[in-house]
Amino acid sequence: MKTILTTLCALMLIVALAPALSAEEEKAAVAFEQPILISSAGQSADVKLVAMLAKKQKLDATVAEMAQPADLGNVKTLVIVPGFSSKGLGAAGVSQKEEMERVEALVQAANEAKIPIVMVHIGGNARRGGQSDGFNKIAAENSAHMIVVAQGDEDKFFSQIAGEKKIEIEVVDKIALAAAPLGKLFAK
Amino acid sequence: MTLKQEGRSYRHIVTAVIIVAIFAIGAALASVDFLAMHRPDVIHPSAGLTGTGMLSDYFEEIKGTPGDTKLYFYDSGVPGATVLLLGGTHPNEPSGFIAPVVITENLQVSAGRVLILLQACASGFTCTDPFEGCPQSYTLQGKSGPRKFRFGSRVSNPLDQWPDPLVYLHYPSGQQLSGFETRNLNRSYPGRPDGTFTEKVGHAIMQLIEAEHVDVAFDLHEAAPEIPIINAIVYHEKSEDVALGAVLELEMEGLHYSPELSPVNFRGLSHREWGDRTGAMPFLMETSNPIQGRLRGRTNEDLIVKGVSERYKQALESGALRIEYLPEGEPLERRVGRHIAGFKTILSVYNDAHPENPIVIENLPSYDELMANGIGHYLQ
Repeated sequence: MKTILTTLCALMLIVALAPALSAEEEKAAVAFEQPILISSAGQSADVKLVAMLAKKQKLDATVAEMAQPADLGNVKTLVIVPGFSSKGLGAAGVSQKEEMERVEALVQAANEAKIPIVMVHIGGNARRGGQSDGFNKIAAENSAHMIVVAQGDEDKFFSQIAGEKKIEIEVVDKIALAAAPLGKLFAK
Repeated sequence: MTLKQEGRSYRHIVTAVIIVAIFAIGAALASVDFLAMHRPDVIHPSAGLTGTGMLSDYFEEIKGTPGDTKLYFYDSGVPGATVLLLGGTHPNEPSGFIAPVVITENLQVSAGRVLILLQACASGFTCTDPFEGCPQSYTLQGKSGPRKFRFGSRVSNPLDQWPDPLVYLHYPSGQQLSGFETRNLNRSYPGRPDGTFTEKVGHAIMQLIEAEHVDVAFDLHEAAPEIPIINAIVYHEKSEDVALGAVLELEMEGLHYSPELSPVNFRGLSHREWGDRTGAMPFLMETSNPIQGRLRGRTNEDLIVKGVSERYKQALESGALRIEYLPEGEPLERRVGRHIAGFKTILSVYNDAHPENPIVIENLPSYDELMANGIGHYLQ
């Protein structure tokens, strides 16, 4: 009788934990493959810096600051670099609202096509708060992996999202140090 | 007239004379103060100086006007790139003027040449902005004693260009800006020879860039802590690789700069018009300066030099406002140090990209040296 009870308890425990375990496995199992599309969310020039880092890591990446869902084509991973820039929006000739609509559509298309998103935030304080955080939030919440330069996460904005959504996050001290973890993602 | 009436009339005359005398003394004292703004700042160029000229050498019509200003040449005699450094585009942004002063008083060039226009908007140094309560000058302790520098206006003196239109139509784009901006040098480019006073100065600077075949051009500024574009390098698309390379290098030295691409549809600015219309690679740099901001509180010399504002500290601590302000303040050393570090690093990255056309500069303090020794250590 005692053995049967123990076995039943063990089975119940396995059944209870199974969804959580599979969710974790699912997160861990996300494969980041190339080719990569790097796009902006907020039109800051940080997207160009991330493109430079990707180039240094010899990644097969193209940059489209204003990427549309149709650009996802044969893309295997979408890298989003969030951060608001009024000059950048001016250069792109779009309003903040139009930019947000574009980002929402891009993220939704990537999710539907099961293209994993990597968020890379390198702009520190200057790309946080007010007009930036809307872009930061949508990029972070929809990502499968985050790379963040520490100054931008001093208030744990990204760490908190990562914790709640069980997203892997790597915090680095400097922009240049974001290159290695970005490269490593695609070396798996 | 009775004796009583005569006495009353005499008293009225005396009262009137006293009142007029008081106003006359007040006006005389005020005019001394006012005219002091026309006294040029004293500059002691380094031994590396090889010549001087005037902006009017490139557009004669501004000769002898308040728009004319001195140009300093540092020519190594060794072939290389020509660099133009503009200070004082906005005379109420002190690090945008003092950083070029420090450079002027220390620079040595061993390849290529550097041209420095310390007070690009010379007219703006002759007045302050109305209703801002700003001091007219500030003093820095140089090696040879106190050095007084003028704190001017963001725009040309209204005595030199007036009245402002209701709406400023930028030439040639037709872009509409507020009337005040008609006197803003950094909305005037490319300017025009038959335009307003400020447009003529803008035109002269464009002529200078063309005539001297400038390869790299800098325009140094400051902005309020609440403005999104501070601690930034604004670049034209043709300067992109150099700007981004410099941002990465500066960050490795512990100095964070936001890269900002010049919008193509925002006309009249140096980083757009110089890049579009000349062979120069333009860079505009901004530092964070509390005296520019609306929360600054008491506006005095200390705020310019020490950059400490209790109001901004409160704003920072409240978390209600995301601002670029350090709890210990934004002293002039830091702001000047950032500009000089940016200037040096951009040129270093430019050299890596253009080894065939080098610009080699020496004897400028590093950011850490400026922070440790103060600005005065690098002023004569």
